Amino acid sequence: MHHSHTRLFGGLKRGLFALRQAGILLVVALFLYWLSYSVSTGLAKNGIGFNLGFLSQAAGFDISEGYTLAWQNGFLPQLMDFVSSDTNIQALITGGINTIKAAVIGIALATVLGILICIGSLSRNWLLRQICFLFIEFVRNTPPLIQLVFWYFAVILQLPALAQSGQWLGALASRQGIYLPSITLHTDGLLGVQIGLAVAVLCLLCGVLKPFRSRRYVLLSVGVLALAVIQLYAQPFSISVPEAKRFSVSGGMAISPELAAMLLGLIIYKSAFIAEITRGALQAIPKGQFEAAQSLRLSYSQSLRDVVLPQVYRVVLPAFGNQYISLAKNTSLGIAIGFPDLFNVYGTVANQSGRSLEGMVVVILAYLLLSLVISTLVNLGNRRLLRTGARS
Amino acid sequence: MNHTLSRWLRINLFNSLANSCISLVLISLCIYVGYAFVNWVALQANWSVVSNSIRIFMVGTYPADLLWRPWLSALILVFLSGASLGLVTRLTWNKGVVLSAVFLIGAWWSSGAFPLLSVLCYMLLTATLACLMTNMVPLCRRLMPWLWLFGIVLLCYLMSAAGTERWGGLLVSVLVTIIAAVLSLPLGILLALGKRSKQPSIRYICTAYIEILRAIPLILVVYSLWVLTPLILPQWNTPDLVRGVLGFTLFFAAYVAEYVRSGLQSVPAGQVEAAQALGMRNWQINTDIVLPQALRVSTPALIGNVLDIFNNIPLLFIIGMTDFLRAGQMVLLSPQAGGHTYEIYAFMFMVYMVVASIMTYGSRRLEDAMSPGRQEK
Repeated sequence: MHHSHTRLFGGLKRGLFALRQAGILLVVALFLYWLSYSVSTGLAKNGIGFNLGFLSQAAGFDISEGYTLAWQNGFLPQLMDFVSSDTNIQALITGGINTIKAAVIGIALATVLGILICIGSLSRNWLLRQICFLFIEFVRNTPPLIQLVFWYFAVILQLPALAQSGQWLGALASRQGIYLPSITLHTDGLLGVQIGLAVAVLCLLCGVLKPFRSRRYVLLSVGVLALAVIQLYAQPFSISVPEAKRFSVSGGMAISPELAAMLLGLIIYKSAFIAEITRGALQAIPKGQFEAAQSLRLSYSQSLRDVVLPQVYRVVLPAFGNQYISLAKNTSLGIAIGFPDLFNVYGTVANQSGRSLEGMVVVILAYLLLSLVISTLVNLGNRRLLRTGARS
Repeated sequence: MNHTLSRWLRINLFNSLANSCISLVLISLCIYVGYAFVNWVALQANWSVVSNSIRIFMVGTYPADLLWRPWLSALILVFLSGASLGLVTRLTWNKGVVLSAVFLIGAWWSSGAFPLLSVLCYMLLTATLACLMTNMVPLCRRLMPWLWLFGIVLLCYLMSAAGTERWGGLLVSVLVTIIAAVLSLPLGILLALGKRSKQPSIRYICTAYIEILRAIPLILVVYSLWVLTPLILPQWNTPDLVRGVLGFTLFFAAYVAEYVRSGLQSVPAGQVEAAQALGMRNWQINTDIVLPQALRVSTPALIGNVLDIFNNIPLLFIIGMTDFLRAGQMVLLSPQAGGHTYEIYAFMFMVYMVVASIMTYGSRRLEDAMSPGRQEK
């Protein structure tokens, strides 16, 4: 009797619990429904309905730079230059690709610069330390937008015109853009060279990978040697140096002024944060760790590589992940300097088609996806570190 | 003296061959850059570009005949900031009087030749007096939140004479920062508590809100709300300022929630259990036991958040508002600014640095004042 009582009570309790959860969710769902209802009635008053059809209509505007995906023949899309007859969704893809491009380059270089500045701020040289601190304080305490605008309007656009710009180590800096020397590869119609290159690259890749660790040096040297021999006999690689004409540049790799300013702004802004994070992590590691490693007669590089750095990575990586997401989000400031990132292109699409709401949904989903991808990658890296490093 | 200097140099700059080389390069670089900079600031730069358009920098396009209103508002803001600094710094009577006298003399001396400097001196004088007031009158400490609330409401009332679309410049930057910071705090606390709630539904909703808002850019949030608000509330003619504040509040509430959450995690479970053993109610436990301790831990992060809000205010340009940076860009576009780009940028960077330095200083002092082992007086 007593037993069935408790069971009844437990069932009742669980039922009430489920009811309460359902009630809370219902209230929130009703609120969201009210929001979307009032938005749709607001739209209907202006004679507009929610419709994603505009995505497949022709965009009708140009984008200053960037590729889009085109499904011309077959299932696999190809990277093509964006033209105004492409659809709105292709325009948004162009913006997305530009955002990803700026984010990836920015993340890589900001990490490198941030770590260099961190090393500087821990240096035994007083002056270098002060300069690094000053840099970090200044960059962290001023708005990212003014830095971006400064780089674009006050630095890049004040560079000399193309005809007057001087060459420095093969690179050209002008207000029409930055031009860097690049390596080009031509293997047209040379089957032997193509096969040889593939083998060499395969050797190099295997040399880096873990399962082939025991034969690492053999593989690496074979790869390098093969590359050298092929280069010597067939010259598939050549360095292309940009050459300034009156209004254009031939050869080399071109970076538009907007992208250059965007990258400068993002990299310098985020590097200060990355430097601070790394410095905090390095200083948080007890000195005894290094000393203990040294007293075990590990060499300097061994104690750094096998004892200190694994601990630093583990503290630093989640914080880096946040900074990477923030950097990717900051590409949306491109609209202030005319860099055609996702948000900027969305603004143009919304203006041209009058579909700001539908586009908003698409863009929000795109940014969510971008953040999700970055945090997943960082988490994967983190898990690998946790597996290989010693657990504390 | 000579000996200690050479010793200091040897330890700090020339302690190894590599460091000596780095030092030599850096010293020559510093001398070169420093000389060029000082030369530019003192001789080449034409600062009249800045001082001529100081009104646009400070208040944007606010009507000239109503200028006493922003002046009074600025004075209120300076007074409140000074009074708040008084919470975390000890200013003795003697020091306060000396500082006041210095500022008063400075204001009097510069009133003829440099009107801007004298205004600055009067502002500093107000701040010093306010700081002294908080230090001398203990009642002010307890009244501080109400003082702020009253000050902000008064300020908005004062400024409203010209219509919000005419508000601009540094004043609007500071105002939006304060309002967004104040409004996002309770929302963020609720979200943080919701994320730790025993009800799974509340937990999921709060987590989803925080994660989504943290994954999309602020500029998109502000713009979206600017587009959506008139659709949701067509009967109200919501001004841009309110829509902008709304976007900033909703966005930064997610960040506040994360900072508060880390504070909540630092409160030992024993605290809650002890409160439960005393028969306190859930709500009471949160407001009287957990939150005071959690907020104490997260205060530095929350002040950093205010600085974050301030540094992101320039994004208001996307909804057509004129904040400090946009006012500067307006000045840059004016014909008399031609060729004086760098003066204007230097001035703007300097103002941003000064505001950030004041806030960082305040937060450092607050951290010191609240660090464990130091009891409140």
